[in-house]
Amino acid sequence: MSLSLKNTPNRSQLQRYWELLYVLVENNLKGRYRGSFLGVFWSLLNPLMMTVIYAAVLGTAFASYYDNSIVNYILAAFTGLVTMHFFAASTSQAMRSVVSNGSLLNKISLPISVFPASMITANLFQFVMATLPLLAIMAVIISGNVINSLALLFPLLALTLVSTGTGFILSALYVFFRDIPYFYEVAVYGLRIGTPVFYPADVVPEKIRPFVLLNPLAQIIESIRQITLSGDLPDLSLIWGALLGSVIVCILGWLCFKNLRHQFMDLL
Amino acid sequence: MEAIRLNGISLWRRTQEEFSYDFKKSLLSFLEGKYRKPTKKLVLDRINLNIEVGETVGIIGSNGSGKSTLLKVISGILQPTIGSVHVYGNIAPLIELGAGLDPAMSVTHNIILYGVMLGFLRKEMIERIQSILEFAELEEYAFAPVKALSSGMKARLGFAIATDVRPDILILDEVLSVGDVRFKKKSRTRIEKFWDTNTTILVVSHDLKFIQQWCQKGIWLDKGQIKFSGNVDEAVEHYLNAVE
Repeated sequence: MSLSLKNTPNRSQLQRYWELLYVLVENNLKGRYRGSFLGVFWSLLNPLMMTVIYAAVLGTAFASYYDNSIVNYILAAFTGLVTMHFFAASTSQAMRSVVSNGSLLNKISLPISVFPASMITANLFQFVMATLPLLAIMAVIISGNVINSLALLFPLLALTLVSTGTGFILSALYVFFRDIPYFYEVAVYGLRIGTPVFYPADVVPEKIRPFVLLNPLAQIIESIRQITLSGDLPDLSLIWGALLGSVIVCILGWLCFKNLRHQFMDLL
Repeated sequence: MEAIRLNGISLWRRTQEEFSYDFKKSLLSFLEGKYRKPTKKLVLDRINLNIEVGETVGIIGSNGSGKSTLLKVISGILQPTIGSVHVYGNIAPLIELGAGLDPAMSVTHNIILYGVMLGFLRKEMIERIQSILEFAELEEYAFAPVKALSSGMKARLGFAIATDVRPDILILDEVLSVGDVRFKKKSRTRIEKFWDTNTTILVVSHDLKFIQQWCQKGIWLDKGQIKFSGNVDEAVEHYLNAVE
């Protein structure tokens, strides 16, 4: 089967994809915040509130793992929670994106993958505008080194890749099974507990710890914490670990999406 | 010069009715060994078609004969199971206007969004906002959200965006009556202009009179097969004979 569609001349598919991504992301962000640019900071509300709750309930119990400082616990919980929140929000939005644009896909020929990709990108924009500056400031203050703030871009890249791969898989599965969100909710809940987000990795029994740290999100969180909170120079082995895991997830996600894509249109 | 060439197109589609969208159920039936391979239905059956640049083609046939599916294959929305599609030039689909509009967004924003989906650049669309608003007679609503428009206004907006630039190939799926009497006349004039120029036009309609009046070539589809292709009057005649 071949399909040669010579669309408007001089316009490559890549440019069309980029233009589409741009308008979809713009549309998404505008829809969320009704024009108020301060709106992106609302995305901080959820992790901030959760940090307060965890600090109030668990802060004293775990403080001994953080040099007996509740502030250190708060910072560790916050870095974990923003990462987890980004992952959970962007992937569950990406999950629904293909199906919710089903009627559109039946009327105009569009590259399907642009819909989950636009959801991840919109969330990334939010993260870069609201959360990243906070993390960068924390990194500079604690380490006194600008390299640490710049190095944050690597775990952020890893986080984006993991979320993109997962978003692709979920959006493809949701086309076939409309009760996937229910299962995914449980999975995300499990991930929230199973990843050292609000507790130190040291409390996990040693036999189980390697499995916990196999999770790419745990590696990303570890890397972000090392860069922002340890005060040392960025640990390259943590960065590489985070990037490696995320690249694998992203490639698997794309392969899964690509192989199922041709069946989508019959079910939308 | 040819505009569209279809070589031996066949398309099998999964029927949605018997498909379970439920993961729990699918898993259970799989474990119980009741899983069946999804049955597929032949929607288009070995279609060969050549359409030259500037031809106006009317596609007729009863409901479910595959007319709209054929247009979807030509627009690139559906990919054929076997066979190849060659399309030369850009296509403007006018399939159920207003599908790409986002109700919560302003009219101006929607013009850009819809235009980019149709394959134009943002820059071009920004330049065209004025002429589109003018044609749709919605200048006063430029910054109002689309949900504040009446359904007729929405249809006018969709029509104005899709036809603002002359496409090489125009696809019409029963959408020639848009808005009130006055706008209908206006949209008819715009489409007639396409007819006069070198635009290739494909129309699906049950209005046989319209097809006979406006198209040179007629294609009669029945159960996914081309039963007749050629002179429009003959095509209509064959179709009517078969029905009676």
